[in-house]
Amino acid sequence: MATETKATTKVKSRTLFQETWRRLIKNRGAIVGMVFLILLIAVAVLSPVLFDYETDIIGQNMAEALQPPNAAHWFGTDEYGRDLFARVLYGARYSLIIGVGAVMLGLIVGTILGSAAGFKGGITDSIIMRGIDIFYSIPNIMTAVVIVSLLGTSTVNLMIALAFSCASSFARIVRASVMTIRDQEYVESSYAMGLPTWKIIVKHILPNCLSPIIVQITLLIGTTIISASSLSFLGIGVPAPAPEWGALLSAGRGHIRDASYMCVIPGLAIMFTVLALNLLGDGLRDALDPKLKK
Amino acid sequence: MNEDLVLQIKDLVVHYETEDADVHAVNGIDIEIAKKRTLGLVGETGAGKTTTALSILNLVPNPPGVIKQGEIWLDGENVLEMKPHELEHMRGNDVAMIFQDPMTALNPVMTVGDQIGESIMLHQGLDKKAAFEKAKEMLKMVGIAESRAYDYPHQFSGGMKQRVVIAIALACNPKLLIADEPTTALDVTIQAQVLELMKQLIREKEMSMLLITHDLGVVAEVCEDVAVVYAGRIVEKGTADDVFNHMRHPYTEGLFDSLPNLKQRGEELVPIQGLMPDPSDLPPGCAFAPRCPYATEACTKAVPALQSVEGSATHFVACTAYADPDFKLRRNRDGK
Amino acid sequence: MIKYILKRLVMLIPVILVTSFLIFWAMSLTGGDPALQIAGDKATPEQVEQIREELGLNDPFLVRYAKYMAGMVTGDMGQSYVTKRDVFKTFMERLPNTLMLGGAAVLIAVLVSLPLGIYTAIHQNTWKDTAGMIFALFGTSMPNFWLGLMLIIIFSLTLGWLPSGGKTGFASLILPAVTVGFGLAALITRTTRSSMLDVLRQDYMTTARAKGCSEKRVIYTHGLKNALIPIITAIGLQMSLVITGSVLAETVFSWPGIGRLVYDSISKRDTPMVTGSIILCSVLMCIINLVVDLIYAFFDPRIKAQYSKKG
Repeated sequence: MATETKATTKVKSRTLFQETWRRLIKNRGAIVGMVFLILLIAVAVLSPVLFDYETDIIGQNMAEALQPPNAAHWFGTDEYGRDLFARVLYGARYSLIIGVGAVMLGLIVGTILGSAAGFKGGITDSIIMRGIDIFYSIPNIMTAVVIVSLLGTSTVNLMIALAFSCASSFARIVRASVMTIRDQEYVESSYAMGLPTWKIIVKHILPNCLSPIIVQITLLIGTTIISASSLSFLGIGVPAPAPEWGALLSAGRGHIRDASYMCVIPGLAIMFTVLALNLLGDGLRDALDPKLKK
Repeated sequence: MNEDLVLQIKDLVVHYETEDADVHAVNGIDIEIAKKRTLGLVGETGAGKTTTALSILNLVPNPPGVIKQGEIWLDGENVLEMKPHELEHMRGNDVAMIFQDPMTALNPVMTVGDQIGESIMLHQGLDKKAAFEKAKEMLKMVGIAESRAYDYPHQFSGGMKQRVVIAIALACNPKLLIADEPTTALDVTIQAQVLELMKQLIREKEMSMLLITHDLGVVAEVCEDVAVVYAGRIVEKGTADDVFNHMRHPYTEGLFDSLPNLKQRGEELVPIQGLMPDPSDLPPGCAFAPRCPYATEACTKAVPALQSVEGSATHFVACTAYADPDFKLRRNRDGK
Repeated sequence: MIKYILKRLVMLIPVILVTSFLIFWAMSLTGGDPALQIAGDKATPEQVEQIREELGLNDPFLVRYAKYMAGMVTGDMGQSYVTKRDVFKTFMERLPNTLMLGGAAVLIAVLVSLPLGIYTAIHQNTWKDTAGMIFALFGTSMPNFWLGLMLIIIFSLTLGWLPSGGKTGFASLILPAVTVGFGLAALITRTTRSSMLDVLRQDYMTTARAKGCSEKRVIYTHGLKNALIPIITAIGLQMSLVITGSVLAETVFSWPGIGRLVYDSISKRDTPMVTGSIILCSVLMCIINLVVDLIYAFFDPRIKAQYSKKG
């Protein structure tokens, strides 16, 4: 009997996945986004092989400083004569690592907080949710400023700072989902059967909020990449001379009059990356919940 | 067109065309409603009743709904050929509609007085204030205190909301009232009250009504004429007496057999076997044939046309079985 | 209603206390030793100690916090280490500039996004809808400080139409406001569209049509009024985005607002200025959120009824 049930759920979940996939690949935007992201990930993974960090990325060559885009330097060079093409490609690593890292960290913390709030209810819920409300009301750039100045500027600290705002948005999703599912009869019957709370969370609650979480992950990685570059632009993100895209723009700003390409190209890199994530996120939302598709 | 008819629908066909399927909701319906008469349109959920009703106001949501063919005559004018301003003038003024779910039919951010007054304002050229005063009278007419005109829908109960919806519909004295399952969403005790109110108002205002329902009890209570719909086609129509006491179509018989009878509590219910066919994939021939206990080979060949029952001017049935002059329904066999 | 507002204002107090405590605590751990910063490199240990005593830096943490909060009530939040100017006063001097920038941005965003959102919803699944959605997608995918840089390149450096920075009258407000407003417009367009699509499917829209309302009346009188409720919520939630956007836009355009103040203070390690600004910013956010809630109540009779019952 038990194996039989297992088998049927397995079949069902596979068809659900296939169904989602079938709908997703019908969506042209999502395909474009996915292809771009795969290329970007490949670039991020391969860039240490393609370039030598010490010489190609941060090595200075004043003789070639501030060259506009040309055949030798497709994206031109910066004020220290470094090739912007190499730096922008290498920068993908930072954006992706920070984006994914912060969102995953936020997901873990947010899920714990959200399910605790939703399940315990009462005072625990009020404290957690009020805390998150307060947190949410402070502009996240301010929070990041406080955290980064508390911990110091580094890539990891930037990730932690950005994870905070992700955590609050995941906590809200998980809590809302817990609240609606908690009182459903099949959950009550699981309780009656003596299933421990954590098992109920893993078996019933999480699968039910999986769709909004997957969509939220995709979209939040995009937002986080923008926030990370904003903080680097302000000089409190990834420290120089690392070629993070926001830091490149910050350097470019000083040359906006004489080398405007330095301002244009890294921004395009950010925009297309986030655009790809948004396309994929929207596509996933429509594919996971066709009822929502309007 | 017959002078006495308020509404005449001829061969109406409506499809819902989506990416996945082409849903044949209405497949050639003919309906006539005479002055001061009430026609009950009876059928299961999904038989195309609501679509027919929305077609009369030319309000079938498009996309996906497409009115493929047919004519809908109101007062000598074809609704389907009206220009937008003519439609706006007709809706609410000549024909008004009461919706199934009063919970969602009212705008939550407008006072009920404003919502009733709006149609008065639009059709009778009154200003907002005068319309609001008139709206109060309408509220009183449906049995709600005038002072409540300033309240919002969420401050009313379900039955009260349906009274408000009725007040909106009757605000401009339409010639024809379409009531789409007006009591389905209400408690049983409230149903009777609302039905009684509608009956009384219709009589007072000398309106015609098209009552859409799946509840044969409601039909018996209110309607003079009855049309039974199945899978977007009319299978039997006639006066209430024709259909209730001299029914001819197997589906009509099935509907009555599935009614619980309070007087004979021991009697077993006879449900109709099977389910209504998928309207995007209708069987050839008579759509009821797969479920019909009398079905023969001939039933699947061609769609039966509505034909007069024994030369009656009012009673029509669409059933292939009557090609055999000796055919009788089970209910009609024991000489009843 | 007034009772409700008062109640909400009272409820702000613990929020402000908690927030300011956290910020004060975090900032007191950072920024190094302010006494050393003030005294400069050449100071003797005695001089430094004297400054510590003067600033009250030797008091226990809670005492310092209590003193700080007591000061805040009277508008005394200490002095900047760098400019020696009063923190509260400086903040209040800069505040109108940021409010002006934020207000202009929200105005631009609303003026663009409401019509566009409604338009795309009505023409759902046509090329018009697609075009509008592509615009919105780009808007949400663009870092706004980068948009600011692009606007400078195009409108100041290339075309020479508008000033590239500073606050020199109305013309200088345009580019920063567009910079902050653009992303916001994109977000609100998406919300408006989906909210409108949701409303368009509601039964009461059919009721309105069946009454004989013109399509215009159905959409603007019945539809928009209902669609506005989630839109206002969305705008309210994006207020922190407006502040974030302002910080960046003020940096890009040298606009003398709070954002620029915070940025400068951070780079100069001016701890009292940073602490004070961030605490006052969070107070500002609380007040903005309250205002948004009240606007919300104005548009939704169900919420209004709740408030009058409570208050």
